[in-house]
Amino acid sequence: MTCVICNKKSRAGMYCRSHEKACENIARSYEQWREALEISWKEYLSQIANNPLTGEWTKEVVQHLLKGGGQANVKDG
Amino acid sequence: MDNYTLVIAEKPDAAKRIALALDKREKPRKLSENGVPYYVAKHNGVEIVVVPALGHLYTIAAERKGRNHYPVFSFKWVPRYVAERKATRIRSLLQTITTLAKKAEAFVDACDFDVEGCVIGYCILKYACGAKEHKSKRMKFSTLTKRELEKAYAEALPQLDFGLIEAGLTRHEIDWLFGINLSRALTVATRKWSGKYVTLSTGRVQGPTLKFLVAREEVIRSFVPTPYWKIRAQVETDGRVFEARYVKERIENKKEAETIANSCKDKKGQIEEIAIREFKQPPPFPFDLGTLQSEAYSLFSFAPRRTLNLAQQLYLDALISYPRTDSQKLPSTIDYATILKNLGKAEQYYKLTSELLLKQTLKPNEGYNEDPAHPAIYPTGNLPQRALEPSKRKIWDLVVRRFLAVFSEPAAKQNMKVYVKINGHRFHFSGRRILAQGWMRYYEPYVKFDELLLPPTKKGQIVNVKKTLLEEVFKEPPPRYNPSSLLKDMEEARIGTKATRADIMQTLYDRRYIEGERMTVTSLGFEVFDVLEKHCPQVISTDLTRQLEEKMDRIRENKEKREDVLTDVIGILHPSLVAFKEEEKVVGEQLNDALERSKLEERIIGTCPVCKTGKLFINYSRKTGKRFVGCTSYFKGLCKTCFRLPQRGTVGSSGKNCPACGWPTVEVRMKSHPWVLCFNPECPSKTGNEKS
Repeated sequence: MTCVICNKKSRAGMYCRSHEKACENIARSYEQWREALEISWKEYLSQIANNPLTGEWTKEVVQHLLKGGGQANVKDG
Repeated sequence: MDNYTLVIAEKPDAAKRIALALDKREKPRKLSENGVPYYVAKHNGVEIVVVPALGHLYTIAAERKGRNHYPVFSFKWVPRYVAERKATRIRSLLQTITTLAKKAEAFVDACDFDVEGCVIGYCILKYACGAKEHKSKRMKFSTLTKRELEKAYAEALPQLDFGLIEAGLTRHEIDWLFGINLSRALTVATRKWSGKYVTLSTGRVQGPTLKFLVAREEVIRSFVPTPYWKIRAQVETDGRVFEARYVKERIENKKEAETIANSCKDKKGQIEEIAIREFKQPPPFPFDLGTLQSEAYSLFSFAPRRTLNLAQQLYLDALISYPRTDSQKLPSTIDYATILKNLGKAEQYYKLTSELLLKQTLKPNEGYNEDPAHPAIYPTGNLPQRALEPSKRKIWDLVVRRFLAVFSEPAAKQNMKVYVKINGHRFHFSGRRILAQGWMRYYEPYVKFDELLLPPTKKGQIVNVKKTLLEEVFKEPPPRYNPSSLLKDMEEARIGTKATRADIMQTLYDRRYIEGERMTVTSLGFEVFDVLEKHCPQVISTDLTRQLEEKMDRIRENKEKREDVLTDVIGILHPSLVAFKEEEKVVGEQLNDALERSKLEERIIGTCPVCKTGKLFINYSRKTGKRFVGCTSYFKGLCKTCFRLPQRGTVGSSGKNCPACGWPTVEVRMKSHPWVLCFNPECPSKTGNEKS
């Protein structure tokens, strides 16, 4: 299988190791954002997509998620 | 000329200094053979011939010729010109040493007293002088001053330090085994896949260093910033405004932060507590190489390698002591007072040295690190005979002022924290001042302390709150490594040596595994690391590197045998290399993809300011072959942005954005100096646009 973002090999799932890691971080950090701002999943993704501190791989995963291309394991607020 | 003592120095400049110091008239004869200069000195009626090396004259080479096979475990020490085509001067140098050795009756090794110096001297005595390694004496010195060189010659050690030599030889052999086998494995895999030759390398220290960089890069690239809030209040007292911070530095809920900020609006504050802390800050420790490199990087932005080179030149000029040292100690035998007196001959140090010389005892504030071979870096007391080149002067002045500072008194400082209660919420603002400058005066201008004096305040005093500010902040990713911080982490992890760490970093740049001063790992760097992690994880382990360092320490103490350590290393490498070979095709494909991506990365200039999703890159027209700037989104049919570029010279990303329009720019290099070009035709910086 190959990563839907960079076409590199992926062990399982749709992302390679790097993008998988970014996806995990996105899911984990949502909890903090929700507690801080009572924000929905979509709003959260838009916020981090436009934040200059967001990592390059994270931004790529966010773009993919915003296009409806994938799901992260989170509960929407 | 017969029956003389042959002294072997590590470098030509050192040979000259030694000859000058030992010759009774300080005028040694300079002779030359095969274009190789050497010096003849008269010392106590004995003739001394001082001949230089050029660093390592011998190196390790595989027994079997050819570059395309691995594993390689049989090797031999050979003259460098045998293994390296470019090392042509070494042949004539070795011929000269061999000729001079034939008529010598005594031998003295005067190479630098560290692992590398010991190996250099040992190999020359063993191979070029005809097995004289057990007949040679050893000079031990830390500066190239006349006084110390005379003493080192008169009190030369009766034999070489064989423990140190064994450790040094082992280090070279282990590094060679790691380097040759793993680098060949990578290169051969790439070549077999693409048919093209590309040098890829890794090694015992290079692999774990790359691991540090990759780990940091992964954190940065997969980072998600999380928000928090800070509250500040502008507090007015005695006609001056101070910014007071809410005692809880991070508030992780917006509503909570807003509630606190709103409740403080238009309220008065009352001073609740004034905390004053006075403390003494001891002088800094003397410089070891690592701290000198860190300090030079933060003060002058000198890369560690540059600092080492400058310090080495200052050592050869007999202005500072031997720089490749881990020691933070200054033994009293170096004669502090004489050094200070001599430094005081320079106008800029006269006042400071005079003050120090008035002290009853001179006692340096030493650190904990020791080095058996050399003390910390210190000025010899010699003054430059002619004006030093600016960067050399900076390093020398830094070493001198640090030396002065370590003998001085602690600095006394005072921190003052004023706590203000605003509508039940606690804020604080701080001031700081110097009570006694102590060592800081000696270390100026390399130490800065911004004083912030607070007006007299007292408990219960009412203060005006001019404004309350609520600031949304995001947690930041860790910073990228720079040469100084990477060096520090390498030191802490005990990987590499003080002499090799800076070179390892340079190799990572040369191989294009990293780029930029803020070290960014490239696609190629990631893939090489991925290959190593998958196929030979032990090789990139810092634990293994540390264990090997410990084993080398034990060899030095004669507690472990070189042969046993080499057998262990082969035992680690062999299975990894066999497994690697089986996966050669997969690895070759992966590395070639990375090389292709890396080439594309080098052509990328920045984010496309038109579509804001693609990247601008330097492309070539298939029809005309002319180069232009295009957008990567063009291939997806999303952006048709393209701009002309100059067709002469070379063009690459400048890494900077145009100050006028904010677009990425390119650097054009022709015969003259490089210049930065903004290719945006609408840029306001362009004359025509300015008028319109």
